[in-house]
Amino acid sequence: MATDAAVRRYRAWYAVLLRLYPRPFRAQFGEGMAQTFHDLCRERRDAKRGLSGFALWIFFETLVGIVREHITHMNQLAKTMLRVALGALAVWMVPVVAAQFVEDWHWGVGGFVRVYLLFFLTGMAIALIARRMDAWSYKLGVGVALVAGFALGWSNMVHVADSGNPANLWYYSVLVVGLVGACLARLKAPGLARTLFVMAATLALIAAMLPSGAPPYLARNMAIGHAVNVVLFTASGLLFRHASLAETK
Amino acid sequence: MAKKSTAQAPLTPAVLHILLALSTQERHGYGIMKQVEADSQGKVKMGPGTLYGSIGRMMGAGLVRESDKRIDPAMDDERRIYYKITGEGRAALAAELQRYRGVVTVAEGRLSYGN
Repeated sequence: MATDAAVRRYRAWYAVLLRLYPRPFRAQFGEGMAQTFHDLCRERRDAKRGLSGFALWIFFETLVGIVREHITHMNQLAKTMLRVALGALAVWMVPVVAAQFVEDWHWGVGGFVRVYLLFFLTGMAIALIARRMDAWSYKLGVGVALVAGFALGWSNMVHVADSGNPANLWYYSVLVVGLVGACLARLKAPGLARTLFVMAATLALIAAMLPSGAPPYLARNMAIGHAVNVVLFTASGLLFRHASLAETK
Repeated sequence: MAKKSTAQAPLTPAVLHILLALSTQERHGYGIMKQVEADSQGKVKMGPGTLYGSIGRMMGAGLVRESDKRIDPAMDDERRIYYKITGEGRAALAAELQRYRGVVTVAEGRLSYGN
């Protein structure tokens, strides 16, 4: 016959078992499942029926559910990877085709492979981070921030190679600020909003203080590029701010 | 997540029973289990793994949704998440019952012809 102590013990074990579910599923249903299991155990206790065999069956049934949910989760991940890989391929075709028509474009096979990997990893970062939140403003904020960060890193890499001015490496500190801020914020919207505002301010400060060493026509284009990036980082920060306000409502 | 239209697709037994249980009122997980057991005269017993896995897929398909978290006066003072059937869920249930009626009509015709 089941006792209160046995019910409590089985509930604790069941809570441990529930941890094996994929995190999104556990976040949505874990509490309800634990409650339901507890209700079932109490029903057995009140009916003065044994609990061990019943608990064993529920544990096994739940284990099957855990495997099924992981398979579903993996399938979703595989679909996301395929979509991102195809999207990255479509974007990658732009430099591949452009390189056929621009004379001084000599990346080599390794360069194109690295570019594809950059596109793919950026796309996966957008897809995986955006999946954490339902708010459209959070998803859009992630997209804008990563695209702006990618554009900044990419244009700076090309510019450093062209100008040979190592001072331009300072621009990478903006990306470092973003990376550290995102980690400290643990990808939560309020922290990400602050991070993006700091990134915009850091970029504006570096652009204003650092002499580019570029010829006037190039310096003007760089200034426009930096202004666009500052606007994009600020817009992304505002989107995260919107998402954090929506969360608290 | 994009919601798939399942109004015309055949339902699994678990989904059919959950929709039936929710067709009259909102229920929490344990309430759904008990109703399914009663509706099937004890023949269908689903554990939490099957129940919540099905609910997750049904929510993805727009057949059911979370209602609110409240105390069940018939139980203890713990707050429970309630689920409710949606319009799409009712349409899927009606389509499934119509399909069952069609199967029964065909089966009865065959059996009477055989006799």
